[in-house]
Amino acid sequence: MSARGQVQLDGIVKKHGAFAALKGIDFEIKPGEFFALLGPSGSGKSTTLRILAGLDAPTSGRILVDGEDVTGADARERDVAMVFQSYALYPHMTVFENIAFPLEMAKRPKAEIGPAVREAAAKVKIEHLLDRKPGQLSGGQQQRCALARAIVRKARLFLLDEPLSNLDAKLRLETRVELKKLQRSLGVTAVYVTHDQEEAMTLADRMAVFMEGEIRQIGRPADVFAQPNSIEVAAFIGSPPMNLIPARYQDGSVLIGGRRLPTMLQTHGERDVVVGVRPSAVRFEADGIPATVEVVENLGDAAILDMSLAGTALRARYDRFPLPREGDAMGVTVRPEDIHLFDPVSRRRL
Amino acid sequence: MNKSAVAGVVAQGRRALHRRADPARIMEGRERRFAAALLAPAFLALMATTTFPLLFLIWTSFYRMNLSMPFMDGFAGLDNYRELLADPRFWQSLGVSLVYTASTVVLQVVIGLALAVLVHGMRRGQGLFRMVAILPVVLSPAVVGMVWRSFMLAPDFGVVDYLAVTAGLGSHNWLGDPTLALVSVIVIHTWQWTPFAFMVLLASLAALPDDIYEAARIDRASAWQSFRRITLPLLRPAIVMVIIMRTMVALTAFAAIFTVTGGGPGTATEILNLYAYRKSFTELSIGYGSALAVALLVFTLVVSGVLFALRRAK
Repeated sequence: MSARGQVQLDGIVKKHGAFAALKGIDFEIKPGEFFALLGPSGSGKSTTLRILAGLDAPTSGRILVDGEDVTGADARERDVAMVFQSYALYPHMTVFENIAFPLEMAKRPKAEIGPAVREAAAKVKIEHLLDRKPGQLSGGQQQRCALARAIVRKARLFLLDEPLSNLDAKLRLETRVELKKLQRSLGVTAVYVTHDQEEAMTLADRMAVFMEGEIRQIGRPADVFAQPNSIEVAAFIGSPPMNLIPARYQDGSVLIGGRRLPTMLQTHGERDVVVGVRPSAVRFEADGIPATVEVVENLGDAAILDMSLAGTALRARYDRFPLPREGDAMGVTVRPEDIHLFDPVSRRRL
Repeated sequence: MNKSAVAGVVAQGRRALHRRADPARIMEGRERRFAAALLAPAFLALMATTTFPLLFLIWTSFYRMNLSMPFMDGFAGLDNYRELLADPRFWQSLGVSLVYTASTVVLQVVIGLALAVLVHGMRRGQGLFRMVAILPVVLSPAVVGMVWRSFMLAPDFGVVDYLAVTAGLGSHNWLGDPTLALVSVIVIHTWQWTPFAFMVLLASLAALPDDIYEAARIDRASAWQSFRRITLPLLRPAIVMVIIMRTMVALTAFAAIFTVTGGGPGTATEILNLYAYRKSFTELSIGYGSALAVALLVFTLVVSGVLFALRRAK
């Protein structure tokens, strides 16, 4: 089963007139992998998914599924299943008919369809809703119906276009877990489009970070989080995002607020850099760099402190109680291994 | 009077007092009176021009009223209706009405739907088609009838006859032959009113979401399957609405047939409406003509009742 569903994109370009929506996308997905396409809106991730689904054709480039070139093949010929952001349920059909539709189109015998539909519905826990029409379902139930319709046919590729973005926050968290379990139990290759880095981090085996029609970084979520390869990726991954502070690098240390902070990069010389520090990596020590607390955002079990440090803004996660008050002066420091250094001109990681 | 009864009376009095003082209630009453005042002129005009003539028609249908034999006039009870049921020309005209209505409505919906699907699939030029489509609809049916009769269907120099001769079918007396005349009036009505069905269905098609068609492609439905399983069921309300509206009009068609054939040759294209007109205003038998009109009214009501029931079903 999991031998199926290997995907390869070679130099995919998509142009709308003079505007290039995709400027050359390359990646490979292994069979059974959960692969996320992550990026802000307009970055080309949905376009990439639609091209992979066969709903849109690329301007140039090749798409290979299981080694077979499907670039010119329509969605009908690709054996893919897809969950749309809008769910795209057939409004005039019941849940049962919606889930049965792909099987009927595949000309499966009637006796086979009923049990298959019930099995798929049971997997997403909507077997009690089979007689309802989509209009009579809540958003979460519609979403499950769309999932069931996608898994019922056991296609070789499972494409999801922001499937959780129309759900409320609590349901999104629950469904996220179930989605992961579902994908594991099916062992099917999944390609998942999202603008929510937390979803990509939690669900994906690997992810591709899209920006302005290009892939900026591909890798395991933990690796991308730990080693963002550019200022843009660093600013995009993580919540709250990484602090990026312009500073001066000098012989293995950076100068911030008149203090020297040692880094892992040990080269001689002097240059301008951008220092990246995750809010969770900021440490508080009485003899650290002096900073002033400007706003305290209490999250319950922790707080985000918006601080001012030598004229630049710094956000830090703080989980000791009692929380500091606005206006308090605190000393902050960062361990060498928590300092990310970027080139301010090329914007690449140093 | 026991204690609870007293309490009830007191509560009632309090409620009455409250009601009198309730500003929302006063506003509501004022608004209702204002609405009635605004509505009144239109309502009265409508009563005078539609309801009163209708009641008068029904009244007349129970009288013998013949302008060529006024000395015979008088109350006739159900005589006109008895005569009607035994009148072969009534049954003939009812049959023509049925054929005319059924065929024009079916043709309008089928051709209109086909055109709508075709034009909806076009990336450019939709606006042009919409504009061209509206032209026949805005013409007066009487003008349409005259144009077809003189330019299109006239033997020897009409466009249709010319095309028929060129195609090797020979010249025909399009409006002189009973079958051809009926076909001709059906074609004329279809030509004029298909654009209406086309425009309504095109608008409904445009309102259908794109994503379900993409889902259907992913689900491997062929173009025909997505038309039959998705487009048709979703267009059903619009199609039924078009059928109802066009059926009502076709049953009461008049001007186009009147100007093209006048119901002839003989009674070949004499629909019930036309027969009622001829009886009333050519033969001056107003009482019997009224009975025919009432029969048409009843028939129309029955048909529309059936159609609305079909619309609600499922």
